Amino acid sequence: MKKQRILTPSFFLILLFFIFSCSEDDGYGTFTLQLNHTVEGEPVEIEQLKYSSHAGHTYSVVNLKYYLSNIVLHDKEGGSFSYNNVHLRDIHDPSTEEIVMEDVPDGTFTSLSFTFGLDETINVDGGLENTIENINMEWPIPGDQGYHYMKFEGRYDSLNTGVIRSFNVHTGATMGNQNYINVTIPFPEIALESNSWMIDLNMDLHEWLHNPNVFDFVNNERIMMKQSAQELLKANGATVFSIKSVNEN
Amino acid sequence: MKKELVFLLGIIIFSLSVGCGKDEDPQPEPGPGWTYDPTPFDLVYPDNFPIMILDDDNLLTEEGVSLGRMLYYDKLLHPEGEMACADCHQQTLSFSSGDAVLPHINLGWNRTFLWNGKITGNLEDIMKFEVEEFFETDVSKFNEHDIYPELFYNAFGVENITTSEISKAISQFVRTLNSFDNRFDRIFRTDGGEVFSDSELSGYDIFFTEKGDCFHCHGGVLFTDNLFHNNGLDVNPSENGLSEITGNPLDLGKFKTPTLRNIALTAPYMHDGRYETLEEVIDFYSEGLEVSSTIDPLMKQANRGGIHLTEQEKADLLAFLKMLTDNTFVTNPEFASPF
Repeated sequence: MKKQRILTPSFFLILLFFIFSCSEDDGYGTFTLQLNHTVEGEPVEIEQLKYSSHAGHTYSVVNLKYYLSNIVLHDKEGGSFSYNNVHLRDIHDPSTEEIVMEDVPDGTFTSLSFTFGLDETINVDGGLENTIENINMEWPIPGDQGYHYMKFEGRYDSLNTGVIRSFNVHTGATMGNQNYINVTIPFPEIALESNSWMIDLNMDLHEWLHNPNVFDFVNNERIMMKQSAQELLKANGATVFSIKSVNEN
Repeated sequence: MKKELVFLLGIIIFSLSVGCGKDEDPQPEPGPGWTYDPTPFDLVYPDNFPIMILDDDNLLTEEGVSLGRMLYYDKLLHPEGEMACADCHQQTLSFSSGDAVLPHINLGWNRTFLWNGKITGNLEDIMKFEVEEFFETDVSKFNEHDIYPELFYNAFGVENITTSEISKAISQFVRTLNSFDNRFDRIFRTDGGEVFSDSELSGYDIFFTEKGDCFHCHGGVLFTDNLFHNNGLDVNPSENGLSEITGNPLDLGKFKTPTLRNIALTAPYMHDGRYETLEEVIDFYSEGLEVSSTIDPLMKQANRGGIHLTEQEKADLLAFLKMLTDNTFVTNPEFASPF
Protein backbone atom coordinates (compact mmCIF):
# COMPACT_ATOMS: atom_id res chain seq x y z
CA MET A 1 0.00 0.00 0.00
CA LYS A 2 2.80 2.40 0.84
CA LYS A 3 4.45 1.90 -2.52
CA GLN A 4 1.21 2.52 -4.35
CA ARG A 5 0.62 5.81 -2.49
CA ILE A 6 4.05 7.07 -3.48
CA LEU A 7 3.86 6.17 -7.17
CA THR A 8 0.28 7.03 -8.03
CA PRO A 9 0.54 10.86 -8.07
CA SER A 10 3.70 10.72 -10.21
CA PHE A 11 2.21 8.40 -12.78
CA PHE A 12 -0.92 10.51 -12.87
CA LEU A 13 1.17 13.56 -13.84
CA ILE A 14 3.04 11.63 -16.53
CA LEU A 15 -0.24 10.32 -17.92
CA LEU A 16 -1.64 13.87 -18.12
CA PHE A 17 1.51 15.01 -19.95
CA PHE A 18 1.11 12.35 -22.64
CA ILE A 19 -2.63 12.97 -23.02
CA PHE A 20 -2.14 16.69 -23.65
CA SER A 21 0.91 16.35 -25.89
CA CYS A 22 -0.78 14.00 -28.34
CA SER A 23 -3.92 15.86 -29.31
CA GLU A 24 -5.46 15.01 -32.67
CA ASP A 25 -4.73 18.49 -34.05
CA ASP A 26 -1.06 17.52 -34.46
CA GLY A 27 -1.55 14.40 -36.55
CA TYR A 28 1.03 13.14 -39.02
CA GLY A 29 0.80 10.79 -41.95
CA THR A 30 2.96 9.18 -44.59
CA PHE A 31 3.31 9.69 -48.31
CA THR A 32 5.10 7.08 -50.39
CA LEU A 33 6.22 7.85 -53.92
CA GLN A 34 6.49 4.70 -55.97
CA LEU A 35 8.82 5.29 -58.91
CA ASN A 36 7.66 3.29 -61.92
CA HIS A 37 8.69 3.31 -65.57
CA THR A 38 6.85 2.81 -68.81
CA VAL A 39 7.41 3.04 -72.56
CA GLU A 40 4.35 4.44 -74.30
CA GLY A 41 2.27 3.61 -71.26
CA GLU A 42 3.33 -0.01 -70.87
CA PRO A 43 5.62 -1.17 -68.06
CA VAL A 44 9.25 -1.32 -69.18
CA GLU A 45 10.55 -4.72 -70.17
CA ILE A 46 14.32 -4.76 -69.82
CA GLU A 47 16.45 -5.89 -72.79
CA GLN A 48 13.46 -6.27 -75.14
CA LEU A 49 14.30 -4.79 -78.55
CA LYS A 50 10.72 -3.90 -79.35
CA TYR A 51 10.12 -0.19 -78.83
CA SER A 52 9.93 2.23 -81.75
CA SER A 53 11.44 5.69 -81.64
CA HIS A 54 10.16 8.55 -83.74
CA ALA A 55 13.60 8.74 -85.35
CA GLY A 56 12.87 5.35 -86.89
CA HIS A 57 14.80 3.02 -84.62
CA THR A 58 13.71 -0.06 -82.77
CA TYR A 59 15.19 0.18 -79.29
CA SER A 60 15.48 -1.56 -75.94
CA VAL A 61 16.05 -0.41 -72.38
CA VAL A 62 19.03 -1.95 -70.58
CA ASN A 63 19.87 0.36 -67.67
CA LEU A 64 18.24 3.34 -66.00
CA LYS A 65 19.47 5.37 -63.05
CA TYR A 66 18.46 8.90 -62.13
CA TYR A 67 18.29 11.40 -59.28
CA LEU A 68 15.22 13.14 -57.88
CA SER A 69 15.78 15.97 -55.42
CA ASN A 70 13.98 18.95 -53.83
CA ILE A 71 10.87 16.80 -53.41
CA VAL A 72 7.99 18.88 -51.99
CA LEU A 73 4.32 18.15 -51.26
CA HIS A 74 2.06 21.21 -51.53
CA ASP A 75 -1.23 21.71 -49.68
CA LYS A 76 -4.18 23.80 -50.80
CA GLU A 77 -3.55 26.49 -48.19
CA GLY A 78 -0.20 27.29 -49.76
CA GLY A 79 1.82 25.34 -47.23
CA SER A 80 4.27 22.59 -48.09
CA PHE A 81 6.23 19.64 -46.78
CA SER A 82 9.81 19.18 -47.97
CA TYR A 83 11.56 15.83 -48.19
CA ASN A 84 15.18 16.72 -47.69
CA ASN A 85 16.91 13.65 -49.12
CA VAL A 86 18.22 13.17 -52.65
CA HIS A 87 16.96 9.92 -54.13
CA LEU A 88 18.86 7.75 -56.62
CA ARG A 89 16.57 5.38 -58.49
CA ASP A 90 18.09 2.32 -60.17
CA ILE A 91 15.67 0.26 -62.23
CA HIS A 92 17.67 -2.87 -61.33
CA ASP A 93 17.53 -2.21 -57.58
CA PRO A 94 14.08 -2.79 -56.03
CA SER A 95 15.22 -1.12 -52.81
CA THR A 96 15.20 2.22 -54.65
CA GLU A 97 11.61 1.87 -55.87
CA GLU A 98 9.98 3.86 -53.09
CA ILE A 99 10.53 7.23 -51.48
CA VAL A 100 8.86 7.16 -48.09
CA MET A 101 8.03 10.55 -46.60
CA GLU A 102 7.06 10.09 -42.98
CA ASP A 103 5.84 12.57 -40.38
CA VAL A 104 3.98 14.70 -42.91
CA PRO A 105 1.62 17.01 -40.97
CA ASP A 106 -2.05 16.38 -41.69
CA GLY A 107 -3.56 18.60 -44.35
CA THR A 108 -5.15 18.63 -47.78
CA PHE A 109 -2.46 18.11 -50.41
CA THR A 110 -2.88 18.97 -54.07
CA SER A 111 0.45 18.70 -55.87
CA LEU A 112 3.97 17.32 -55.93
CA SER A 113 7.07 19.14 -57.13
CA PHE A 114 10.66 17.96 -57.51
CA THR A 115 13.87 18.51 -59.39
CA PHE A 116 14.81 15.92 -61.98
CA GLY A 117 18.56 15.80 -61.42
CA LEU A 118 20.35 18.08 -59.00
CA ASP A 119 20.33 21.84 -58.73
CA GLU A 120 23.50 23.93 -58.58
CA THR A 121 23.60 23.87 -54.78
CA ILE A 122 24.07 20.08 -54.81
CA ASN A 123 25.59 19.40 -58.20
CA VAL A 124 29.20 20.08 -57.29
CA ASP A 125 32.04 17.65 -56.75
CA GLY A 126 31.44 16.04 -53.37
CA GLY A 127 27.95 17.55 -53.19
CA LEU A 128 26.40 14.20 -52.34
CA GLU A 129 27.33 11.71 -49.65
CA ASN A 130 30.41 9.71 -50.65
CA THR A 131 28.63 6.43 -51.24
CA ILE A 132 29.83 3.97 -53.87
CA GLU A 133 26.53 4.50 -55.73
CA ASN A 134 26.94 8.28 -55.85
CA ILE A 135 30.58 8.02 -56.89
CA ASN A 136 29.49 5.80 -59.78
CA MET A 137 27.20 8.65 -60.89
CA GLU A 138 29.98 11.27 -60.93
CA TRP A 139 30.29 13.50 -63.98
CA PRO A 140 34.07 13.74 -64.21
CA ILE A 141 34.35 15.60 -67.51
CA PRO A 142 37.33 17.97 -67.16
CA GLY A 143 35.98 21.47 -66.57
CA ASP A 144 32.56 20.26 -65.39
CA GLN A 145 31.41 19.24 -61.93
CA GLY A 146 28.89 17.11 -60.12
CA TYR A 147 26.99 14.00 -61.12
CA HIS A 148 25.04 12.41 -63.94
CA TYR A 149 21.37 13.30 -63.51
CA MET A 150 20.38 10.25 -65.51
CA LYS A 151 21.95 7.23 -67.17
CA PHE A 152 19.39 5.82 -69.61
CA GLU A 153 21.12 3.14 -71.68
CA GLY A 154 19.99 0.62 -74.21
CA ARG A 155 20.38 -0.82 -77.68
CA TYR A 156 18.86 0.14 -81.00
CA ASP A 157 18.51 -1.24 -84.47
CA SER A 158 19.61 1.63 -86.64
CA LEU A 159 16.79 2.15 -89.18
CA ASN A 160 16.05 -1.56 -88.84
CA THR A 161 19.10 -2.69 -90.76
CA GLY A 162 19.77 -5.51 -88.34
CA VAL A 163 22.89 -3.81 -86.96
CA ILE A 164 22.44 -3.45 -83.22
CA ARG A 165 24.20 -0.52 -81.62
CA SER A 166 23.95 1.02 -78.18
CA PHE A 167 22.87 4.40 -76.89
CA ASN A 168 23.71 6.33 -73.73
CA VAL A 169 21.24 9.06 -72.85
CA HIS A 170 23.33 10.59 -70.09
CA THR A 171 22.07 13.92 -68.81
CA GLY A 172 23.82 16.37 -66.55
CA ALA A 173 25.38 19.81 -66.30
CA THR A 174 27.98 20.71 -68.88
CA MET A 175 29.83 23.82 -70.00
CA GLY A 176 28.20 25.98 -67.37
CA ASN A 177 24.65 24.84 -68.17
CA GLN A 178 22.84 23.17 -65.29
CA ASN A 179 20.18 21.33 -67.32
CA TYR A 180 18.16 20.06 -64.36
CA ILE A 181 14.38 20.11 -64.71
CA ASN A 182 11.89 21.43 -62.15
CA VAL A 183 8.67 19.45 -62.34
CA THR A 184 5.29 20.17 -60.70
CA ILE A 185 2.45 17.69 -61.00
CA PRO A 186 -1.02 18.35 -59.55
CA PHE A 187 -3.08 15.47 -58.24
CA PRO A 188 -6.65 15.04 -56.91
CA GLU A 189 -6.98 16.44 -53.38
CA ILE A 190 -5.63 14.12 -50.73
CA ALA A 191 -6.86 14.63 -47.19
CA LEU A 192 -4.02 13.38 -45.04
CA GLU A 193 -5.52 12.43 -41.68
CA SER A 194 -2.76 10.57 -39.88
CA ASN A 195 -2.94 7.90 -42.55
CA SER A 196 -0.74 6.68 -45.42
CA TRP A 197 -0.99 7.41 -49.12
CA MET A 198 0.80 5.95 -52.13
CA ILE A 199 1.52 8.06 -55.20
CA ASP A 200 2.46 6.21 -58.39
CA LEU A 201 4.97 8.58 -60.00
CA ASN A 202 5.72 7.35 -63.47
CA MET A 203 8.54 8.12 -65.91
CA ASP A 204 7.66 7.28 -69.50
CA LEU A 205 11.00 6.72 -71.20
CA HIS A 206 9.55 7.16 -74.66
CA GLU A 207 8.83 10.83 -73.86
CA TRP A 208 12.56 11.53 -73.63
CA LEU A 209 12.92 10.61 -77.28
CA HIS A 210 10.22 12.55 -79.10
CA ASN A 211 8.15 15.14 -77.26
CA PRO A 212 8.53 17.81 -78.52
CA ASN A 213 12.01 17.09 -79.93
CA VAL A 214 12.90 13.95 -81.84
CA PHE A 215 16.04 12.52 -80.25
CA ASP A 216 17.99 10.49 -82.78
CA PHE A 217 20.45 8.03 -81.27
CA VAL A 218 22.56 8.17 -84.41
CA ASN A 219 23.38 11.85 -84.06
CA ASN A 220 23.67 11.73 -80.30
CA GLU A 221 26.09 8.98 -79.50
CA ARG A 222 28.25 11.00 -77.10
CA ILE A 223 26.27 13.80 -75.47
CA MET A 224 27.98 14.52 -72.16
CA MET A 225 29.74 17.54 -73.67
CA LYS A 226 27.02 18.31 -76.23
CA GLN A 227 24.84 21.04 -74.77
CA SER A 228 22.49 21.06 -77.79
CA ALA A 229 21.51 17.46 -76.99
CA GLN A 230 21.18 18.25 -73.28
CA GLU A 231 18.82 21.14 -74.10
CA LEU A 232 16.76 18.96 -76.37
CA LEU A 233 16.38 16.39 -73.60
CA LYS A 234 15.63 19.07 -71.03
CA ALA A 235 12.69 20.22 -73.17
CA ASN A 236 11.47 16.64 -73.62
CA GLY A 237 11.74 16.08 -69.88
CA ALA A 238 8.76 18.33 -69.22
CA THR A 239 6.32 15.55 -70.12
CA VAL A 240 8.28 12.54 -68.94
CA PHE A 241 6.74 12.35 -65.47
CA SER A 242 3.11 11.82 -64.57
CA ILE A 243 1.13 10.65 -61.59
CA LYS A 244 -0.75 7.52 -62.54
CA SER A 245 -2.67 7.07 -59.33
CA VAL A 246 -3.01 8.08 -55.71
CA ASN A 247 -4.28 5.52 -53.26
CA GLU A 248 -4.72 5.27 -49.55
CA ASN A 249 -2.58 2.44 -48.20
CA MET B 1 6.09 15.33 -3.99
CA LYS B 2 9.78 16.18 -4.22
CA LYS B 3 10.65 13.09 -2.17
CA GLU B 4 8.57 10.95 -4.52
CA LEU B 5 10.47 12.18 -7.55
CA VAL B 6 13.82 11.60 -5.85
CA PHE B 7 12.71 8.10 -4.97
CA LEU B 8 11.67 7.41 -8.58
CA LEU B 9 14.94 8.78 -9.89
CA GLY B 10 16.81 6.57 -7.49
CA ILE B 11 15.02 3.47 -8.76
CA ILE B 12 15.83 4.37 -12.36
CA ILE B 13 19.52 5.03 -11.65
CA PHE B 14 19.79 1.81 -9.64
CA SER B 15 18.19 -0.17 -12.50
CA LEU B 16 20.52 1.32 -15.06
CA SER B 17 23.59 0.75 -12.93
CA VAL B 18 22.67 -2.90 -12.37
CA GLY B 19 21.84 -3.43 -16.06
CA CYS B 20 25.03 -1.91 -17.37
CA GLY B 21 27.50 -2.89 -14.70
CA LYS B 22 30.80 -4.54 -15.58
CA ASP B 23 31.41 -8.11 -14.63
CA GLU B 24 32.83 -7.99 -11.14
CA ASP B 25 34.31 -11.46 -11.40
CA PRO B 26 36.14 -11.86 -14.74
CA GLN B 27 37.19 -15.26 -15.92
CA PRO B 28 40.89 -15.96 -15.50
CA GLU B 29 42.92 -15.71 -18.71
CA PRO B 30 43.44 -19.16 -20.30
CA GLY B 31 47.21 -18.79 -20.63
CA PRO B 32 50.02 -16.93 -18.88
CA GLY B 33 50.26 -13.42 -20.30
CA TRP B 34 47.20 -13.85 -22.54
CA THR B 35 45.05 -10.73 -22.60
CA TYR B 36 41.81 -10.03 -24.44
CA ASP B 37 41.74 -6.26 -24.40
CA PRO B 38 42.15 -5.32 -28.07
CA THR B 39 43.14 -1.82 -29.15
CA PRO B 40 41.04 -0.22 -31.90
CA PHE B 41 42.98 0.15 -35.16
CA ASP B 42 43.15 3.67 -36.56
CA LEU B 43 42.31 3.13 -40.22
CA VAL B 44 43.16 6.21 -42.29
CA TYR B 45 42.07 6.97 -45.85
CA PRO B 46 41.27 10.21 -47.71
CA ASP B 47 38.01 12.09 -47.19
CA ASN B 48 37.05 11.80 -50.85
CA PHE B 49 36.95 8.00 -50.59
CA PRO B 50 33.61 6.41 -49.79
CA ILE B 51 33.03 5.25 -46.24
CA MET B 52 34.58 1.80 -46.05
CA ILE B 53 32.26 -1.17 -45.71
CA LEU B 54 32.92 -2.62 -42.26
CA ASP B 55 31.55 -5.66 -40.48
CA ASP B 56 30.17 -4.64 -37.07
CA ASP B 57 31.21 -8.03 -35.74
CA ASN B 58 34.77 -7.56 -36.91
CA LEU B 59 35.89 -4.00 -36.31
CA LEU B 60 39.60 -3.52 -36.85
CA THR B 61 41.95 -3.86 -33.90
CA GLU B 62 45.73 -3.67 -33.68
CA GLU B 63 45.77 -7.30 -32.58
CA GLY B 64 43.44 -8.44 -35.36
CA VAL B 65 45.29 -6.64 -38.15
CA SER B 66 48.65 -7.88 -36.90
CA LEU B 67 47.36 -11.46 -36.71
CA GLY B 68 45.79 -11.16 -40.15
CA ARG B 69 49.10 -10.04 -41.59
CA MET B 70 50.81 -13.14 -40.16
CA LEU B 71 48.13 -15.42 -41.56
CA TYR B 72 48.34 -13.75 -44.96
CA TYR B 73 51.99 -14.71 -45.21
CA ASP B 74 51.80 -18.09 -43.46
CA LYS B 75 51.66 -21.33 -45.48
CA LEU B 76 50.03 -22.98 -42.47
CA LEU B 77 46.76 -21.93 -44.09
CA HIS B 78 47.34 -24.68 -46.66
CA PRO B 79 46.79 -28.27 -45.41
CA GLU B 80 50.13 -29.38 -46.90
CA GLY B 81 51.85 -26.09 -46.15
CA GLU B 82 52.42 -25.39 -49.84
CA MET B 83 51.13 -21.85 -50.23
CA ALA B 84 49.99 -18.69 -48.50
CA CYS B 85 47.72 -15.85 -49.62
CA ALA B 86 50.84 -13.84 -50.41
CA ASP B 87 52.02 -16.35 -52.99
CA CYS B 88 49.23 -15.30 -55.33
CA HIS B 89 49.03 -11.76 -53.98
CA GLN B 90 52.50 -10.23 -53.90
CA GLN B 91 53.01 -6.74 -52.56
CA THR B 92 55.43 -5.67 -55.30
CA LEU B 93 52.71 -6.53 -57.85
CA SER B 94 50.03 -4.62 -55.93
CA PHE B 95 49.01 -7.90 -54.34
CA SER B 96 48.49 -9.65 -57.65
CA SER B 97 50.72 -12.40 -59.00
CA GLY B 98 51.50 -12.34 -62.69
CA ASP B 99 48.44 -14.32 -63.59
CA ALA B 100 44.85 -13.17 -63.82
CA VAL B 101 43.98 -12.95 -60.11
CA LEU B 102 42.26 -9.78 -59.01
CA PRO B 103 44.64 -7.75 -56.84
CA HIS B 104 44.03 -7.29 -53.12
CA ILE B 105 43.83 -3.53 -53.17
CA ASN B 106 41.08 -1.28 -51.79
CA LEU B 107 38.90 -4.37 -51.29
CA GLY B 108 37.20 -2.78 -48.27
CA TRP B 109 34.90 -0.97 -50.69
CA ASN B 110 33.76 -4.15 -52.48
CA ARG B 111 30.49 -5.97 -52.06
CA THR B 112 31.09 -8.56 -54.76
CA PHE B 113 34.20 -10.64 -55.24
CA LEU B 114 35.98 -12.71 -57.88
CA TRP B 115 35.75 -12.13 -61.63
CA ASN B 116 32.36 -13.81 -61.91
CA GLY B 117 30.87 -12.42 -58.68
CA LYS B 118 30.76 -15.82 -57.02
CA ILE B 119 30.83 -14.27 -53.57
CA THR B 120 28.59 -11.41 -52.47
CA GLY B 121 28.86 -9.78 -49.06
CA ASN B 122 31.64 -8.39 -46.92
CA LEU B 123 35.34 -9.13 -47.00
CA GLU B 124 34.68 -11.66 -44.27
CA ASP B 125 32.54 -13.66 -46.69
CA ILE B 126 35.16 -13.87 -49.43
CA MET B 127 37.91 -14.67 -46.92
CA LYS B 128 35.80 -17.41 -45.38
CA PHE B 129 35.35 -18.83 -48.86
CA GLU B 130 39.12 -18.69 -49.43
CA VAL B 131 39.89 -20.33 -46.09
CA GLU B 132 37.24 -23.03 -46.22
CA GLU B 133 36.92 -23.81 -49.92
CA PHE B 134 40.09 -22.61 -51.64
CA PHE B 135 42.67 -23.52 -49.01
CA GLU B 136 40.53 -26.04 -47.10
CA THR B 137 42.44 -24.97 -44.03
CA ASP B 138 42.96 -27.46 -41.22
CA VAL B 139 42.12 -25.41 -38.12
CA SER B 140 43.65 -28.00 -35.79
CA LYS B 141 47.07 -26.82 -36.99
CA PHE B 142 46.29 -23.41 -35.56
CA ASN B 143 44.76 -24.72 -32.33
CA GLU B 144 47.83 -26.90 -31.70
CA HIS B 145 50.31 -24.19 -32.71
CA ASP B 146 52.87 -22.72 -30.29
CA ILE B 147 51.86 -19.06 -30.68
CA TYR B 148 48.61 -18.74 -32.66
CA PRO B 149 46.22 -19.69 -29.80
CA GLU B 150 47.47 -16.76 -27.73
CA LEU B 151 47.30 -14.35 -30.70
CA PHE B 152 43.75 -15.41 -31.55
CA TYR B 153 42.76 -15.07 -27.90
CA ASN B 154 44.26 -11.60 -27.71
CA ALA B 155 42.50 -10.55 -30.92
CA PHE B 156 39.11 -12.23 -30.57
CA GLY B 157 38.85 -13.62 -27.02
CA VAL B 158 38.40 -17.18 -28.22
CA GLU B 159 40.11 -20.30 -26.97
CA ASN B 160 39.02 -22.49 -29.87
CA ILE B 161 40.16 -21.16 -33.25
CA THR B 162 37.74 -21.69 -36.13
CA THR B 163 37.72 -20.68 -39.78
CA SER B 164 35.56 -17.74 -38.74
CA GLU B 165 38.33 -16.10 -36.69
CA ILE B 166 40.91 -16.90 -39.36
CA SER B 167 38.73 -15.22 -41.98
CA LYS B 168 38.08 -12.25 -39.74
CA ALA B 169 41.76 -11.67 -39.05
CA ILE B 170 42.72 -11.85 -42.73
CA SER B 171 39.84 -9.50 -43.55
CA GLN B 172 41.11 -7.00 -41.03
CA PHE B 173 44.57 -7.00 -42.61
CA VAL B 174 43.20 -6.76 -46.15
CA ARG B 175 41.09 -3.75 -45.12
CA THR B 176 44.36 -1.92 -44.47
CA LEU B 177 45.71 -2.60 -48.00
CA ASN B 178 44.56 0.72 -49.38
CA SER B 179 46.17 2.71 -52.17
CA PHE B 180 45.65 6.47 -52.38
CA ASP B 181 49.08 7.95 -53.00
CA ASN B 182 49.86 7.82 -56.70
CA ARG B 183 50.82 10.82 -58.87
CA PHE B 184 47.21 11.43 -59.84
CA ASP B 185 46.17 11.47 -56.17
CA ARG B 186 48.96 13.86 -55.27
CA ILE B 187 48.13 16.29 -58.09
CA PHE B 188 44.50 16.47 -57.01
CA ARG B 189 45.44 16.72 -53.37
CA THR B 190 47.24 19.97 -54.35
CA ASP B 191 49.70 19.59 -51.53
CA GLY B 192 52.51 17.88 -53.33
CA GLY B 193 53.41 20.45 -55.95
CA GLU B 194 53.23 17.83 -58.71
CA VAL B 195 51.67 18.62 -62.09
CA PHE B 196 50.60 16.67 -65.18
CA SER B 197 53.02 16.27 -68.06
CA ASP B 198 51.49 17.27 -71.40
CA SER B 199 51.09 13.62 -72.37
CA GLU B 200 49.52 12.67 -69.03
CA LEU B 201 47.07 15.56 -69.29
CA SER B 202 46.05 14.50 -72.77
CA GLY B 203 45.59 10.96 -71.48
CA TYR B 204 43.54 12.27 -68.57
CA ASP B 205 41.23 14.03 -71.05
CA ILE B 206 40.84 10.84 -73.10
CA PHE B 207 40.15 8.80 -69.97
CA PHE B 208 37.59 11.16 -68.40
CA THR B 209 35.63 12.18 -71.51
CA GLU B 210 33.55 10.13 -73.89
CA LYS B 211 36.47 10.11 -76.32
CA GLY B 212 38.02 7.20 -74.46
CA ASP B 213 35.03 6.68 -72.17
CA CYS B 214 37.12 4.74 -69.69
CA PHE B 215 35.57 6.50 -66.68
CA HIS B 216 32.09 5.04 -66.86
CA CYS B 217 33.46 1.71 -65.60
CA HIS B 218 36.83 2.74 -64.21
CA GLY B 219 35.96 6.16 -62.77
CA GLY B 220 35.73 7.60 -59.30
CA VAL B 221 38.45 7.54 -56.70
CA LEU B 222 38.45 3.75 -56.70
CA PHE B 223 38.97 3.59 -60.49
CA THR B 224 36.33 0.87 -60.65
CA ASP B 225 32.55 0.88 -60.39
CA ASN B 226 32.72 -2.55 -58.72
CA LEU B 227 30.05 -3.73 -61.17
CA PHE B 228 29.99 -6.35 -63.94
CA HIS B 229 30.23 -5.64 -67.65
CA ASN B 230 30.69 -7.40 -70.95
CA ASN B 231 33.41 -5.17 -72.39
CA GLY B 232 33.42 -6.68 -75.87
CA LEU B 233 36.16 -9.29 -75.62
CA ASP B 234 34.39 -12.12 -77.48
CA VAL B 235 31.43 -12.79 -79.72
CA ASN B 236 31.01 -16.14 -77.99
CA PRO B 237 32.64 -16.02 -74.55
CA SER B 238 34.37 -19.23 -73.51
CA GLU B 239 33.68 -18.36 -69.88
CA ASN B 240 30.17 -17.41 -68.85
CA GLY B 241 31.20 -14.87 -66.22
CA LEU B 242 28.42 -13.48 -64.06
CA SER B 243 25.77 -15.63 -65.75
CA GLU B 244 27.50 -18.69 -64.30
CA ILE B 245 26.46 -17.40 -60.88
CA THR B 246 23.11 -15.74 -61.63
CA GLY B 247 21.90 -18.19 -64.25
CA ASN B 248 20.71 -15.19 -66.25
CA PRO B 249 21.65 -15.39 -69.94
CA LEU B 250 21.67 -11.58 -70.03
CA ASP B 251 24.76 -11.75 -67.78
CA LEU B 252 26.76 -13.82 -70.26
CA GLY B 253 30.32 -12.58 -70.65
CA LYS B 254 30.05 -10.04 -67.84
CA PHE B 255 33.04 -9.83 -65.52
CA LYS B 256 33.97 -7.70 -62.52
CA THR B 257 35.49 -4.33 -63.35
CA PRO B 258 39.02 -4.38 -61.91
CA THR B 259 40.46 -1.25 -60.34
CA LEU B 260 42.99 0.58 -62.49
CA ARG B 261 44.97 1.67 -59.45
CA ASN B 262 48.42 0.13 -59.90
CA ILE B 263 47.29 -1.28 -63.23
CA ALA B 264 50.83 -1.09 -64.61
CA LEU B 265 51.85 -3.65 -61.95
CA THR B 266 49.06 -6.17 -62.39
CA ALA B 267 49.66 -7.77 -65.80
CA PRO B 268 48.37 -9.86 -67.45
CA TYR B 269 45.02 -8.25 -68.16
CA MET B 270 41.36 -9.27 -68.48
CA HIS B 271 39.73 -12.12 -66.56
CA ASP B 272 41.65 -14.72 -68.54
CA GLY B 273 44.93 -12.83 -68.70
CA ARG B 274 44.88 -12.72 -72.49
CA TYR B 275 46.81 -9.47 -72.75
CA GLU B 276 50.37 -9.27 -71.48
CA THR B 277 50.81 -5.49 -71.73
CA LEU B 278 48.81 -2.31 -71.28
CA GLU B 279 49.66 -1.44 -74.89
CA GLU B 280 47.73 -4.55 -75.98
CA VAL B 281 44.82 -3.55 -73.77
CA ILE B 282 44.68 -0.06 -75.27
CA ASP B 283 44.85 -1.56 -78.78
CA PHE B 284 41.91 -3.79 -77.87
CA TYR B 285 39.74 -0.87 -76.75
CA SER B 286 40.87 1.15 -79.75
CA GLU B 287 40.33 -1.38 -82.54
CA GLY B 288 39.56 -4.84 -81.15
CA LEU B 289 36.04 -4.77 -79.69
CA GLU B 290 33.67 -7.60 -80.59
CA VAL B 291 29.91 -7.08 -80.58
CA SER B 292 27.76 -9.64 -78.82
CA SER B 293 24.20 -9.73 -77.53
CA THR B 294 25.25 -8.85 -73.99
CA ILE B 295 27.93 -6.28 -74.73
CA ASP B 296 27.55 -3.36 -72.36
CA PRO B 297 25.70 -0.36 -73.85
CA LEU B 298 28.57 1.77 -72.58
CA MET B 299 30.72 0.25 -75.35
CA LYS B 300 28.97 2.49 -77.82
CA GLN B 301 31.71 2.44 -80.44
CA ALA B 302 31.92 -1.32 -80.57
CA ASN B 303 30.26 -1.46 -83.97
CA ARG B 304 33.26 0.41 -85.33
CA GLY B 305 35.65 -1.87 -83.47
CA GLY B 306 36.50 0.62 -80.75
CA ILE B 307 37.43 4.18 -79.91
CA HIS B 308 40.07 4.50 -82.66
CA LEU B 309 42.87 6.39 -80.94
CA THR B 310 45.90 7.69 -82.82
CA GLU B 311 49.31 6.36 -81.83
CA GLN B 312 49.95 9.58 -79.92
CA GLU B 313 46.62 9.28 -78.11
CA LYS B 314 47.44 5.71 -77.18
CA ALA B 315 50.77 6.85 -75.76
CA ASP B 316 49.02 9.61 -73.83
CA LEU B 317 46.45 7.25 -72.37
CA LEU B 318 49.25 4.89 -71.35
CA ALA B 319 51.09 7.77 -69.68
CA PHE B 320 47.95 8.55 -67.70
CA LEU B 321 47.49 4.92 -66.64
CA LYS B 322 51.07 4.79 -65.40
CA MET B 323 50.30 7.74 -63.12
CA LEU B 324 48.12 5.37 -61.14
CA THR B 325 51.10 3.41 -59.81
CA ASP B 326 51.41 3.89 -56.05
CA ASN B 327 54.99 3.19 -54.98
CA THR B 328 54.20 4.04 -51.37
CA PHE B 329 51.68 1.21 -51.35
CA VAL B 330 53.93 -1.45 -52.87
CA THR B 331 56.83 -0.60 -50.55
CA ASN B 332 54.89 0.01 -47.33
CA PRO B 333 56.69 -2.10 -44.68
CA GLU B 334 53.44 -2.50 -42.74
CA PHE B 335 52.07 -4.60 -45.60
CA ALA B 336 55.18 -6.79 -45.95
CA SER B 337 55.79 -10.23 -44.54
CA PRO B 338 56.20 -10.21 -40.75
CA PHE B 339 58.37 -13.32 -40.89
